[in-house]
Amino acid sequence: MNAKVKKRVNVTFTHIILIIVSLLFILPFIWMVSTSLKPITQVFTFPIEWIPDPFQWMNYLDAIEYIPFFTYLKNTVVITVLSTLGVIISCPLVAYSFAKLEWRGKNVLFVITIAVMMIPSQVTMIPLFLLFNKIGWVGTPLPLIVPAFFGVPFSIFLLRQFFMGLPDTLRDAAKIDGASEFRIYWQIMLPLAKPAILAVGLFQFMGSWTDFMGPLLYLTDEAQYTLSLGLQQFQSQMGTEWGLMMAVATMMTIPIIILFFFLQKTFIKGITFSGIK
Amino acid sequence: MGFKHRVLYKLSSLMFVFVLVLAGCSSDEKVEGDKDGKTTITFWHSTTSETAKGTANVIKAFEKQNPDIKVKSVYIANQGEGSNEKLLTSIAGGNPPDAAYFDRFEVASWAAKGSLEDLSELAAADGIKKENYYPYTWDEASYEGKLYGIPTTTDARLVFYNKDHFKEVGLDPENPPKTIKELEDAAAKLTIKDGKRFKRIGFIPWYAQGWFYGWGWTYGGDFYDKETKTVTANDPKNVEALEWITDFAKKYDVEDISGVTDSQGSGAMDPFLTGQISMKVSGNFNVASIDMYKPDLNYGVFPIPTPTGTDHTTWSGGWSVVIPKGAKKKEAAWKFLKFFGEEEGQKLFSESSRDFSAIESVNIDLGYADDPIFKEFIDILPNSKSRPVMTEGSLYWNELQTAVENSTRGKGTPKENLDKVNKTVTDALAK
Amino acid sequence: MAQVTTRKKTPIPPTIRKPFRKSSLNGWLFASPWIIGLLLFYAYPLLSSMYYSLTTYSILDAGEFVGFKNYGELFHDDLFWKSISNTIYFAVFFVPLSILFGVSLAMMLNMKVKGLAIYRTIFFLPTLVPQVALAVLWMWLLNPGFGLVNGMLDSIGIQGPNWLGSMSWSKPSLILMSLWTIGQPVIIYLAGLGDISEEYYEAAEVDGASWFQKTRHITLPLLTPVIFYNLVMGLIGAFQQFTLPYTMTQGQGTPANSLTFYVMHMYDNAFKYFKMGYGSAMAWILFVIIMILTAIIFSTSKRWVHYQGE
Repeated sequence: MNAKVKKRVNVTFTHIILIIVSLLFILPFIWMVSTSLKPITQVFTFPIEWIPDPFQWMNYLDAIEYIPFFTYLKNTVVITVLSTLGVIISCPLVAYSFAKLEWRGKNVLFVITIAVMMIPSQVTMIPLFLLFNKIGWVGTPLPLIVPAFFGVPFSIFLLRQFFMGLPDTLRDAAKIDGASEFRIYWQIMLPLAKPAILAVGLFQFMGSWTDFMGPLLYLTDEAQYTLSLGLQQFQSQMGTEWGLMMAVATMMTIPIIILFFFLQKTFIKGITFSGIK
Repeated sequence: MGFKHRVLYKLSSLMFVFVLVLAGCSSDEKVEGDKDGKTTITFWHSTTSETAKGTANVIKAFEKQNPDIKVKSVYIANQGEGSNEKLLTSIAGGNPPDAAYFDRFEVASWAAKGSLEDLSELAAADGIKKENYYPYTWDEASYEGKLYGIPTTTDARLVFYNKDHFKEVGLDPENPPKTIKELEDAAAKLTIKDGKRFKRIGFIPWYAQGWFYGWGWTYGGDFYDKETKTVTANDPKNVEALEWITDFAKKYDVEDISGVTDSQGSGAMDPFLTGQISMKVSGNFNVASIDMYKPDLNYGVFPIPTPTGTDHTTWSGGWSVVIPKGAKKKEAAWKFLKFFGEEEGQKLFSESSRDFSAIESVNIDLGYADDPIFKEFIDILPNSKSRPVMTEGSLYWNELQTAVENSTRGKGTPKENLDKVNKTVTDALAK
Repeated sequence: MAQVTTRKKTPIPPTIRKPFRKSSLNGWLFASPWIIGLLLFYAYPLLSSMYYSLTTYSILDAGEFVGFKNYGELFHDDLFWKSISNTIYFAVFFVPLSILFGVSLAMMLNMKVKGLAIYRTIFFLPTLVPQVALAVLWMWLLNPGFGLVNGMLDSIGIQGPNWLGSMSWSKPSLILMSLWTIGQPVIIYLAGLGDISEEYYEAAEVDGASWFQKTRHITLPLLTPVIFYNLVMGLIGAFQQFTLPYTMTQGQGTPANSLTFYVMHMYDNAFKYFKMGYGSAMAWILFVIIMILTAIIFSTSKRWVHYQGE
């Protein structure tokens, strides 16, 4: 009985903390949605008016007309989906190799993999552009997609950490059964690393979805533009069309929220090693 | 699980092949084939909203007059002072647009690096002359005697003031301050401070468009000697100006003031619109946003006060059209530049963008001088100045900003800080 | 890989010695996409930027070779030192805080309470809102006169500071803001927590271990690979802090350069003043700083990072 009461108190306490912190964390989103429904004159008032009056649903229609929303959306989806796919295919493979396989030069290469992240992208941006320019990829979405198929250092590093955490017993057992390395990877290790792979995929998805500098540099035709470039179009010297801009931002965010809502289950403790033999 | 995996595997290999094929296909495009005798030129601009309509109108009229040329207009986000990554990379890659809308402030530094086409001869041949434009716009579009851009727009800075506030504290709204002293007195009267919080502040010299260039010139100082090519940031008059700003910061407590200025640059959160500040230095481009966010605001504008109450001046920036180095179709691009920069194009542009034209007659034609607010700007434009035409313009700008920041925050005296600016910029120029 | 130490505190299952040593070819094969990618998309830009750092390259023109002059000049650049100290200040406070805060949040979000899916989604939201919007919202919340934060402090009788307008509070404000977008590390921690085998907890429960003991002896040690990752990445991120302070201060690092971070200064040099050579030199100095710190973390990692696989 005593333990039960204690547990209930604990749960309530957890809820209270979670609710308080949630309130803090939900603010930006509420602000975004609320702004997206306000007429321009209501966007900035002190103190903040959280509930628009009246709801300006027209902002959404106006925003869709202001920029070629659906074209940009389609472009963004293509780039994002392909590059995410690239990361999901390539990174676990490489990470597995770093974590579980024995080969010469592995440690050196791993150090280099970490090291390349330490140079800020602002200075490698130009040479990289010149490279893509030389092979004629500027003006196409390829520079935003293809590199993902060859691995992204921070994803490789993250996945490596997860593979390192998987027990070798499973692998060894399969080896004894005569399974090939690729089969072990594909049938045993990959499923075990699913939460991490999904996390990596999600990050890549978000990264591509909101990337600004990449599309800015590499896309040269308005028909290829992405939504993050479109967001900029709401800024003019008269000021920012906050209502419209936030309408687009909201529409950009919703898919990721839905995606996240369904993915987050996989982050829950769900893997029981005993289940796999 | 096995089945799912197999499908995923097939799918991914398919994707990979697809990408490779895609890569193979796209590398052989980029041949500038012009069908049916038409030349297509690419024009990069960063205009949005009403300004974008101006651009579109110019292009439409130009294409009508030149049926053999088609202008492909491409919106480029983030283009303008200090953030030109895309134009930079395209020039570095040897694949720039044929023409671009370009911040005049940066013409000198880009021209010095050989990144813009010299337009002097083309302009001379087609009768485009300095006399047609506000002189400073032409100077700003030139470097070492050669023309690199055709000026399109300009602007100016004046003091905006809230007439209702003036009435409320017994100041004459029709007779705004002329001297620095009067400005100070008005500011003091208008200010309402409650503890550390300003319910209202009369004036903040460095707020909004109150950049130091304006104050230096207002005090009679100068920043660059064209003849000797020397930086004169620590001109005694400039020091005087900065001392005045510093005193102002001390008097009202700079940290308390920053409570008001923090919200700078956020449209309707602009403290001038919310009535938290009674006077501010701003540009004509602010008028449109007042119309948009607070159309019933009872306000006026007056020239930035000077120590003597005479010799009012201001400074102007603006845009131009340029041909980047490496452009493939210079001839057609020039035709477009010429059209954009002459009366007809400027009129079309200014009509919808409400930006002042770099040509005075266009502004008069469009009736800016009949508008009580715009008139003040048009009147002062002929006496306006522009920031020094030099290769280190951006550095100079940032350094002056730092000097103002540090002085008002009590880090070093105005003299010391301006001496430092002088040294830094001079050193940079010497390289 | 070395499997040196065995931990006493954690009930780690015994490891079978790996009898297979022939997997070298497999290793290369598995890593080959990245080896190609590294050569294609990283090697050339990195080497170029290293070369640029020895020249007066301006993007618009090739410039000339000046040896280590750019590096020498850096030491006389006041703003360089200022930006380093700002950046270190930020990193020193932000990185540990983000780990503490991130792990605690993740542990809370890993409990079995109702509505978890919604909580988790909410914690992730700030990372999805565009940076421009975040910047505006913060200025609003932290506005000393009218902001929500000082308003709340006011109501309990505290006169709040002038957050972003004060030289001493601007960096703490920025640290606060950055903690807001902690969603990504939290997901990584969550994934890490999800990987911890239930068996350990079951075994511990049989032994009558308390929540605290379980956290200390099972959760945290087994989370170390992920903490290690977030530590390294947090460090890299903190030293490369750019977008938020840059957009918030319109590139000026106000007040009085108290928010001028290293990469902001580098960016200004490279793109505003056309000193890409100088900017590249700054980038490589940053590289050395982060590299040293990372090397230190790596060298200590054997002592505190526990891989379940070992």
